[in-house]
This record gives sequence, structure tokens and C-alpha cells, in this order.
Amino acid sequence: MANEIRFKLNGSEIVYTGNPSMRLVEYLRGEKQLTGTKIGCKQGECGACSVIMDSELVNSCLVAMGRVNGAEVTTIEGYSKTEKFAALDKAFESVSAVQCGFCIPGMVLASESLLASNPHPTEEEIREGISGNLCRCTGYNSIVKAIEIAAEEGSGLW
Amino acid sequence: MVKGIIAKSLRDALELRKDSTFVPYIGGTDLMVEADENKSYLFLHQVPEMKNIAEDEEFIRFGAACTFTEIIKNPLSPMILKQACRQIGAPAVRNMGSIGGNIGNGSAKADSALICMVTDSKLRLASADSERIVPIKDFYLGRKKLNLNPDELIIEILMPKHGLENYYHEKVGARKALAISRVSFAGIMDIKNGVIQNNATAFGAVSDVIIRLDTIDNMLIGKTIEEAKKLRGDYIQAIGDAIVPTRGRVGIEYRKDVCINLLKSFLEVSGI
Ligand SMILES: Cc1cc2nc3c(=O)[nH]c(=O)nc-3n(C[C@H](O)[C@H](O)[C@H](O)COP(=O)(O)OP(=O)(O)OC[C@H]3O[C@@H](n4cnc5c(N)ncnc54)[C@H](O)[C@@H]3O)c2cc1C
Ligand code: FES
Ligand code: FES
Repeated sequence: MANEIRFKLNGSEIVYTGNPSMRLVEYLRGEKQLTGTKIGCKQGECGACSVIMDSELVNSCLVAMGRVNGAEVTTIEGYSKTEKFAALDKAFESVSAVQCGFCIPGMVLASESLLASNPHPTEEEIREGISGNLCRCTGYNSIVKAIEIAAEEGSGLW
Repeated sequence: MVKGIIAKSLRDALELRKDSTFVPYIGGTDLMVEADENKSYLFLHQVPEMKNIAEDEEFIRFGAACTFTEIIKNPLSPMILKQACRQIGAPAVRNMGSIGGNIGNGSAKADSALICMVTDSKLRLASADSERIVPIKDFYLGRKKLNLNPDELIIEILMPKHGLENYYHEKVGARKALAISRVSFAGIMDIKNGVIQNNATAFGAVSDVIIRLDTIDNMLIGKTIEEAKKLRGDYIQAIGDAIVPTRGRVGIEYRKDVCINLLKSFLEVSGI
């Protein structure tokens, strides 16, 4: 039994003693100023709030702080320091897959989560991997292309 | 007031459950959609007894807190369950959502619960002082009404492991990844030496609870394929008469037609 919430956030140990029912996304943006994690719907439908928790993609709007106990959380800010991020970033840029950019942190983390379990995905697998991440600007084709390029150019990273 | 508490063992969890102000929480993918910061949650994701997937002679036993992703990855999971779990939500929902939460939400749309129904799975329910095993069909009492005492938790799902090879599963929904199914169907036909050993069907998202008409399904059990073909018309008619879609939902007649069409496809692929 525990009432103190301990977890790792972008590599740092955190001890949280606030409300365990608070949404992780509110904590990240409000208390940690990690505003790369966006809020779109708060319903688990758009993926703008995606973070990686224990190597898996999750919607941080659907995660209460108590659920984070014992977990390792990586936001786009933490991920952007990695070589894998650099490969994805370059690939997204090379096909102009970013328009307004609102969905992109989530898209990048969804790409990471996909490539981590499947380093050479088919187009269909890519579309399935980002199916919980909505983009209202690009029509997805350029994003799918970017992930294909990252998988190829970054071969060996994942 | 204590707002939320994290259980580290089953005993902890059941002790804490005595205080019924705590709402059981596994993945939160249902609860957090209408998140209320004033609610107190009992977090169950770190209860080891609820994270296991194991088998015995008769059953595959799924801890209630197993996520869909864990079920899909586990070699013990029957194909019919894997297929249904793969079609749930999008990856992030499968990574957090659990089979126990899917059953605990009481929804007739719940996709893994549909498979628990068609396989006649059993639920292990426990409170601090007692434990019972309940067939899942007797767990759903009505719309959002569960056969679960205020001090009980769903601990495990016991899914029979034999005779699940020949199955048919379809989810007819609007958008592929995110739509909660509008009509879903699962059927199991176990035929040995030309004789039907088991015929089971379940219909999701049509009525207040998942529909499992086992007495009607039993019409075909013990019959040869030829005999079953003769009964086909009567069987479909009987199922059709028994399915009463919830009033007020979009397209009642449409839903019923879809159910019958799915049932027909199931019989067809089973050679009946
Ligand atoms: C975008 C999105 C898409 C979705 N798509 C689908 C879909 O395609 N198919 C589908 O079936 N579902 C879908 N869902 C719903 C949800 O993901 C599932 O119902 C999931 O199984 C819930 O599990 P959970 O662990 O997150 O439950 P939680 O939210 O933690 O709990 C759900 C309910 O069960 C109760 N509960 C939890 N644990 C226990 C326990 N041990 N004993 C008793 N009661 C308990 C809780 O109190 C709550 O009432 C979707 C949800 C979202 C947000
Ligand atoms: S804000 Fe979390 S999924 Fe939309
Ligand atoms: S780039 Fe604008 S939402 Fe995707």
C-alpha cells in the first residue's frame, strides 16, 4: 500500500504527493512545463497527448497520476535528446510531413513505439501504428512516408 | 481525505476495497474519459496476482489487469481472443486497456468480454473474506448492472482452452481503429468426426448486455452436419426472434439484420 507516487520522468526520479486522480497530461504541462505534450480531446481519441510509458505508447490524458507509480515516462522533450529522434526528425523534414505541428510530438512518439517493436514495418503496419494519432493537416501520406524513410535511413537504431 | 491509493498485493487490494468509496482502476481508458479529480481510485496495476497469464488442465487464466497488448503477445492466448483484442481501439488504448476493465465496465460493446461470453469463461471474484467463481453469463444482470458486491473485485478470467480453434469473429463498425463496435459477433463451432460438439454464439453492442443464447445454440449440439443443415432455418429464426435490440439506438432493424447476416456467415464457414 502506498500513497506517495514514485516514477521516472525523462530519466529523473520524481516523488509526487499531489492528487492521484489528476491526469498525467495536466501534470506534465502544468507542473513540469513540458508543453510538447498537447491536449486535443481528453478522450483518448486524438493522440496529441501521447507519451511513452514503460516502452509503450499511451494517451497521457487517460492516465491518472496514481497509475504512473513505478513507471518510466518519456515525453517528447526527453525523447528529442536521442539519436532515434534525430533520425525521425530528419525524415519528417525531408518530406515536409509537418504542417501546423500540433500532432507531431504524438506522431513522433507513436513512430518510436512502432519502430521499437517492428523496425521494418509495412505501409499498413505504419498506418495501424499511428491510427490513434489524428492529424488534421497532412492527410497522413507524408507522415507515413517519413516513417518509412526513418526506418530505412535509421536502420540499426531500432 | 485520502484521494486514491495504490495496491501492491491482492490482500491489500481486497482490504482497501472494503471502503467502497474507492473506484477500482486498472488502465483508466474507460474511467478517465469522464475523469473526475474528486474521485478516489484504487489503483490495481501493480497487483502481481492480477497480472498473470497462466494455464491449467482446463483453462487459460488471465489476471484482470492484463492489457490487450499483453494478451496479444502471450503465446497462451487463444487466437479468437487475440483477434478481438487486435481490433480494439488504437495502440495506445490496447497498451493501457485491460480485460478486467473491459468486463468491469459492464458495456455490451466490450470486445474482449464478447469473447469471454462466447467461450463461456468464468470469473474469479474475491472480497477480503470470500471468493467465488461465476460464469460470465451470470455476471451481467442488465444495463450496467453487474453481479458484483461492493466489496468484491474481478481477479481473474478463466477461459476454457479446448475446442476454440474453429471460430468466427466480426466487428462491424464505422471507423476501423477507433469506433467502439456497433455490432460485433463471435461464434465457435467444434465439430469432431462429423458431429457438432459445441456451437456457441455471442452478439455485442445490440442490447443492454452481450447476448448469449446458449439454449438456442444447443439445438445444433450432438447433430451431424447434415442434420444441422436441416435445422438451419429454424435455428436462424429462433435466434432472430430472441434478439431484441435496445430501443432508441440507431438503426434497430439494421443492427438485427447485421446480426442475422453474421450468424449466416458463421454457419456457412462452418459448413452448415
Ligand atoms: C479511444 C478509445 C477507443 C476504445 N475502443 C474500444 C474498442 O474498440 N473496444 C472495446 O471493447 N473497448 C474500447 N474502449 C474502451 C476501453 O478501452 C476498454 O473497455 C478497456 O478494456 C477498459 O479497461 P481499463 O483497464 O482501461 O478499465 P478502467 O477504466 O480502469 O475500468 C473500467 C471499469 O471497470 C471497473 N473495474 C476495473 N477493474 C476492476 C476489477 N478488478 N474488478 C471490478 N471492476 C473493475 C472500473 O471501476 C470501471 O468501472 C476504447 C476506449 C477509448 C478511450
Ligand atoms: S488529448 Fe489525449 S488523446 Fe486527445
Ligand atoms: S500537422 Fe497539423 S495536425 Fe498534423
